[in-house]
Amino acid sequence: MNIHAYEKLWLIAALVLIVGFIVTITYGSVGLGIAMIDDSEDAIEPSELSEDERFSDPRVEQVGENEYEAYVVAQTFIFQPDPIEVPENSEVTFYVTSPDVIHSFSVVGTNINTMVIPGEVSTMTAEFDEPEEYGIICNEYCGADHHNMEGELHVLPEDEFDMTELSVEAPDEVELGDEAAFDVSVENGQLDDLETTIELEVGDETLTEDVTVAGDSTEETTLTVDTDDLGEGDHDWTVTVDDHDESGTLSVVEELDEGDDDE
Amino acid sequence: MGIPLAIKNRVYLDRRMSQQTDEPTGVNAPTTEIGHDEYDPIGTLALIGLYFLILVILWFFMYFVEFLGNDPTVIGSIVMGVL
Repeated sequence: MNIHAYEKLWLIAALVLIVGFIVTITYGSVGLGIAMIDDSEDAIEPSELSEDERFSDPRVEQVGENEYEAYVVAQTFIFQPDPIEVPENSEVTFYVTSPDVIHSFSVVGTNINTMVIPGEVSTMTAEFDEPEEYGIICNEYCGADHHNMEGELHVLPEDEFDMTELSVEAPDEVELGDEAAFDVSVENGQLDDLETTIELEVGDETLTEDVTVAGDSTEETTLTVDTDDLGEGDHDWTVTVDDHDESGTLSVVEELDEGDDDE
Repeated sequence: MGIPLAIKNRVYLDRRMSQQTDEPTGVNAPTTEIGHDEYDPIGTLALIGLYFLILVILWFFMYFVEFLGNDPTVIGSIVMGVL
């Protein structure tokens, strides 16, 4: 067979190009670990998300050192949780599903982008190296308010990120002479122990207590204040744990009005 | 059929045609036959080479700049995708 020299050149160049395409894609997937989003997760019943342990409470969970899992529900016309907060230098696996119609989970300006199909769980892992705020949008038409469906993904600096939750139960009204009990519970969602200080300010009094909250658990403690020290009247109180605080007002009265409930 | 091909003021005739008949039809021009390797379409080669170069540059731009530069990206082991 007599093939012209230019034709040979062209055939070889075309083959080299194809091999080049394959080599770059292979380099991406093997060398850089770039993956495609697949259907490896089992199907779930979209109408029963509220009973699913992953999606009944959309959240971010720490599963290892610098490894987090985010359970996200995309529904008309919001993303939950919003914002999704993760720390920098972390590897986050997103599990996204929908209870109603087809949505998408697109972190704007990045390659994190997937369809969200009712009954399917879209799973993808990404690394976040720098603190940044990303927007999340839905790019599958999902209804009348589709254009307003958006969420946020915050990659926080390590010192600003915590998974601590503070809740305080305090009485509204206490009789003068009694002790006012503040039940403080500190939840530590991270795996490392959290050493912190609970500070209660009420009126002019300040109480502190050092606590160590074990990883992935809740520590409950009670701080009591003698109302004789406070005196009669309304006293604003604030409980502070790291950057979290909760406040309210405590009324110290001469005598509790037992008839309050009947009025 | 048998339309003569005019390149660079020379007229080439389809070989199949010239085998069938010795006389060119319709055109009374001198005909020159050249061999397979004498045919030298350097302009076509340059044009295709340019297209090829553009293709390679665009591929690099698309994959390495637009795709890989669009961090963060979805990562995972290749085995996960196969299973």
